[in-house]
Amino acid sequence: MSLPQFKLLRPHTLADATKYLAKHGDRIRILAGGTDLIPSMRQKLFEPQFVLDIRHIPELNGIHEQGGGVTIGALTPLSSIEHSELLKLRYPVLTEAASTVASPVIRNMGTIGGNICLDTRCLWYNQSLQWRKSCGFCIKKDGDLCHVAPGGTKCWAAFSADTPPALLCLNAEIEIAGPSGTRRIALRDFYTGEGDEYRKLQPNELLTRVFVPAESAGYRGVYRKLRVRGSIDYPLAGVAVAIKRSNGHIADARVALTGVNPAPVLVARAADLLNGKELDEALAETVGDLAAKTAKPLTTSALTPEYRREMIRVFTKRAVLAAASN
Amino acid sequence: MKKELIELKVNGRGYELAIEPSALLLDVLRQDLQLTGSKRGCDDSSCGACTVLVDGTPMLSCALLAASCEGQEITTVEGVTEHGSLAAIQKAYGDWGGSQCGYCTPGFMMTVKHLLAHNANPTDNEIRSALSSNLCRCTGYTQMYQAIRAAIEAEQKGIQEEKLSAIQ
Amino acid sequence: MTMATDFSIIGKPIAMVDAAGKTTGAGKYADDLSMPGMLTGKILHSPHPHAWVRRIDTSLAEALEGVVAVATGKDAPTPYGILPVGHDEHALVTDKVRYVGDNVACVAAVDEATAEKALELIDVEYEILPAYFDPEDSMKAESNFIHDNKPHNLEKDYHHVFGDPEKGFAEADQVMEARFIANEVTHAAMEPHCTLAAFEIDPYTGNMGRLIVQSSTQVPYYLQHKLSLVLEMPMSQIRVIKPLVGGGFGGKSEVIPLEIIAAVTARKARAPVKITYTREEVFWAHRGRPRTIVDLKTGIKKDGHITAVKAKVIQDGGGYCSYGVVTILYSGALLGALYDIPNIQYDGYRVLTNKPVCGAMRGHGTVNVRFAFESQLDELALKIGMDPAEVRRVNLLKPPCITVNGLRVQSYGLPECIDQVVNRSAWKARKGKLPKNRGLGVACSHYVSGAANSIIRSDMPHSTVNIKIDRDGGVVVYTGASDIGQGSDTMVAQIAAETLGCSLSRVKVIAADTDLTPIDIGSYSSRVTFMNGNATLRAAQDVKRQVATAAAKKMGCEADDLIFRDDKIVKKEGISRNNAEAVRATQDASVSGRVEGQILRGSLQQKREDEGPKDSLTFEEAVVAAIDFHGALSGTGSYAPPPEARGGKHKGAGVGPSPAYSYSAQVAEVSVDEETGEVTVHKVWASHDCGRALNPVSVEGQIIGSVWMGMGQALTEEMVWKDGLLMNPGMLEYRSPSSAESPEIEPIIVESVDPEGPFGAKECSEGSLAATIPAIANAIYDAVGVRLHESPFTPERVLAALRAKRAQKKINLTEGIDPTAPASFREHGGSLWFKGKGPERHPLDPSRRETPAEARGDD
Repeated sequence: MSLPQFKLLRPHTLADATKYLAKHGDRIRILAGGTDLIPSMRQKLFEPQFVLDIRHIPELNGIHEQGGGVTIGALTPLSSIEHSELLKLRYPVLTEAASTVASPVIRNMGTIGGNICLDTRCLWYNQSLQWRKSCGFCIKKDGDLCHVAPGGTKCWAAFSADTPPALLCLNAEIEIAGPSGTRRIALRDFYTGEGDEYRKLQPNELLTRVFVPAESAGYRGVYRKLRVRGSIDYPLAGVAVAIKRSNGHIADARVALTGVNPAPVLVARAADLLNGKELDEALAETVGDLAAKTAKPLTTSALTPEYRREMIRVFTKRAVLAAASN
Repeated sequence: MKKELIELKVNGRGYELAIEPSALLLDVLRQDLQLTGSKRGCDDSSCGACTVLVDGTPMLSCALLAASCEGQEITTVEGVTEHGSLAAIQKAYGDWGGSQCGYCTPGFMMTVKHLLAHNANPTDNEIRSALSSNLCRCTGYTQMYQAIRAAIEAEQKGIQEEKLSAIQ
Repeated sequence: MTMATDFSIIGKPIAMVDAAGKTTGAGKYADDLSMPGMLTGKILHSPHPHAWVRRIDTSLAEALEGVVAVATGKDAPTPYGILPVGHDEHALVTDKVRYVGDNVACVAAVDEATAEKALELIDVEYEILPAYFDPEDSMKAESNFIHDNKPHNLEKDYHHVFGDPEKGFAEADQVMEARFIANEVTHAAMEPHCTLAAFEIDPYTGNMGRLIVQSSTQVPYYLQHKLSLVLEMPMSQIRVIKPLVGGGFGGKSEVIPLEIIAAVTARKARAPVKITYTREEVFWAHRGRPRTIVDLKTGIKKDGHITAVKAKVIQDGGGYCSYGVVTILYSGALLGALYDIPNIQYDGYRVLTNKPVCGAMRGHGTVNVRFAFESQLDELALKIGMDPAEVRRVNLLKPPCITVNGLRVQSYGLPECIDQVVNRSAWKARKGKLPKNRGLGVACSHYVSGAANSIIRSDMPHSTVNIKIDRDGGVVVYTGASDIGQGSDTMVAQIAAETLGCSLSRVKVIAADTDLTPIDIGSYSSRVTFMNGNATLRAAQDVKRQVATAAAKKMGCEADDLIFRDDKIVKKEGISRNNAEAVRATQDASVSGRVEGQILRGSLQQKREDEGPKDSLTFEEAVVAAIDFHGALSGTGSYAPPPEARGGKHKGAGVGPSPAYSYSAQVAEVSVDEETGEVTVHKVWASHDCGRALNPVSVEGQIIGSVWMGMGQALTEEMVWKDGLLMNPGMLEYRSPSSAESPEIEPIIVESVDPEGPFGAKECSEGSLAATIPAIANAIYDAVGVRLHESPFTPERVLAALRAKRAQKKINLTEGIDPTAPASFREHGGSLWFKGKGPERHPLDPSRRETPAEARGDD
């Protein structure tokens, strides 16, 4: 499977990168780690005229402390996040989530920006051109129907990255650079909840930085990932939990899910249930039930949707208990 | 698409190559440079058979554009051999059954080379975790662990001998 | 446990002779090869599971710049197949497509991108036919058969009765009956198939002459034979060379479509053509282990004796015959030869469906039935209150013997295998006493050391080996054995070196090249060590006899009195000088004498200084003496299984008999997470009777690899289908285990020293696989008390079984199919990924079945 033919743009500064983006707009794909884009281009999921190779923009790579919070450049490899002592200390849920992404070699290549922007996945979408042709294509690419929820017009491809639920728990914000300068938004506002147009990023924009706020430092964190193999696999379901305790009570708690909806989602009422409470098994069960209701898994990946939803329940319960007792 | 001229540094040697911008590093290594040690085992960047070191870090050459690697040091399995002799890990993989059909072996060589370069005495769990970048279908991985232990021992013995001869 | 022996090379752990090429990347696999002017071949595959091909228009593709040729079925209309009874495949389809992925046309172009572009330009008109995906449905078909000459889509059925099964069941104290389902798995060798085909120019005619094919194959001679058939060329005009092969496991043990297609396309393009499969194409080429339904009934007495076994087996074979007839026969035949079972009834059905073709995969035919049998035996042991390891001991064979279905058993290490795993795992002390949700399970298995009857009925030997020794003292072994990573080149070198008493570095192995090496029928059914090993042994003995004759003359003794070892030829102890003198008196003076340096020719005329008889000779000296004496030094040996090993006379009796069987016993230790259904395998103790371990490192590697692959089938691997479309055609979604979840496997070698094996050796690469699946199933039962009748034991299946057992609130985790009592296949295959009938294909896709699936996703 060969790559489509494209022109490669190789900027060395952010300024050059945004210039290219402004010029070529929607005919461009951004290449960072390449672990998802390259195989997808070989499957002809993307056939851009231009590929913007941002691997060599040093200003977008690195983990920096800033005013009690931490700024992470979008090009920072997941392995650097996994092994960062600073992050481990302050935001353990993030380092744990990063350490479960795919395999070590993929984490060397894959970046935090790429993980946040990861294309949604579906068994009917992540296939070769020949394969997709055999089933008449789908809404997300080249077709007009969804094999997962026939009759509907919505794409249900599942958001399948590991770090975004952790970042949601940490109230992270992201910086986006565009033709008219940069904007900064909460990560939770970045996703649309649609499987096809899954993120709010204009074709001429680039995700540049992630900000993890000082207020989220020191939350105990746990990430639990449903996978068949102990390595390589995307999450079939994932739960991130961050909990702040004080005097034996839960002062603040956040729960977020991945792999089961077209976007990573915060379990909205988890904090209401947990905050101010002393955690016990029964309460954890209740949070698990709530998370399971938030999850909307469909037949986009291995293992049945019912099972994945049930695992969201079990993993949430376990993660909450583990985070509270860490 | 028109070819572009790039400079690639592979196993310490510089090459000037005319390639298409969409050429994968794996294909350039195998087809343009005849370095066929790196293998293609999958098409979804999951198997690790094409692993090379880029500036010392293991990466999948099937998920890298060759042109994107300009200015970086690439090491392939052909660059693991030391002065025409087998490196300790290569010898040990042969002796201990770490390699059967051998197709995944070049990828494992790169993974293990990197592991031992950064951690001279890894724990069993660290080895297991590092090897989880690469799939093997023959060995069940068990004999690789023995091979890696043997290579570490051989390396340490080698270092001691070097020290001794330095003292003498 | 390997025995202490006085061998110098046999039984020693050594690196494979080709190890350095593999660890340095210098070794060449098929895709590493290139030729001047070589084109890239790309195959157009069918998007429909079952359709007439009404028209193929290749004109636009041919007109594309960079395209040299486009081949279609018309270019090679002769059908072929690996079995003489199954010539139902064409290089490229001539009339209809029979699975999504079937081969329609092939483009040869200057590069991959051009070839891919050309594929898009080929216009094919299909007329869609109803398709069959479930073998039980397929058998009921009344029209639109997949192959016209196979009514009801039944490839083949066999009905065997040995002894009196009904009487046996009547005598039993306990009888159990259950349906087991094993879902489909594939080899997933790391190397995708690749073939490079090129024609030489004939110097006499100036036209295309001989065909040279370099291919990733386990069976170069079958490939040569089928190429000859399809291309209508004499076999002598075809040379097949096997470069390094990156794993086979059966997936390269027959002629795979690309091998024929590359040759046909090269002929049309009049240029070398290389085709390398994408990973998706590897899954379509498949030839893996079929989904299998086993309806099994076993009777047992209170004392543990099995009284009768009845098995009905249905295999979902895919669109063509492949090895199907052999697979379905193995499933029945290998009910025998493991235990002493007096009464057996077997009904086997090999069914055609519109899916990629199933064939031979490691443990060919035995694995799924063994899973059923060993699981049911475990249940029966519990019913009669007997330890599961003990019940297996009660039913041991008493060899030498011939089983009721005609299999001859000589060496039989199973008793020791069971003892070894029971002891090593501390079975008696720990079984039933492990912490909650942790358990131990035991199971046994066996396999053939090659088939006693070859696929093509003839009297030819199954292996022939030639050895040439020249004046340099180098030993060159010409063997047709195909090393696919299992180490046959090393095995051949070891046997030659041990027999000739020379060092391993002297031995060069030239293997698997039809121009150079005598015929060997290939690397499959674990035949190579036994058969090619025996042929090598005989060839080495042949050449050794010649060396010995000459050496004896120089040493003044009888040839039988010489020992060849460590590159020296010495006299046996106790051969006296006097005796030697007596011999000397009769010897031909012309061959005695010291060899001075390198004598290259005319040595008989050389001036020699007669030194009289010597006490020892170096290997080189002996070789030179032998060449002087005989004129040339070469030996040959061949092997054909003895008539006594070739089995009974009933229909289908040809499959199952083997000159020797390997045996395996395993204990698996697992834990089960009761809330998630996830199974963790902590350790597997695996003992294997390989007759004799010629190279213990290799034998252990084969045992571990088999157990590990069995674990993959038990827990994570499964091909998932939807309307004939394979949902997981890649290494990302077809989950071959990574190191992270692979358990410790302790291999234990048991040596029964087979009377006919080379140095006593038998099979070691396949037999262990089959025991792993039931050992894990039985351990899961021991851990949490649920009996899984459907593999793989994925977490949702285990959890569904657990919840049912605890009578918990019902969550429909497995679309209503009870993994403890699966009733039938789901339309989409073994998978549980889809609710109900799962989502539909595109409404415009006419291959949708007439009765639309009750399709909907989750809420």
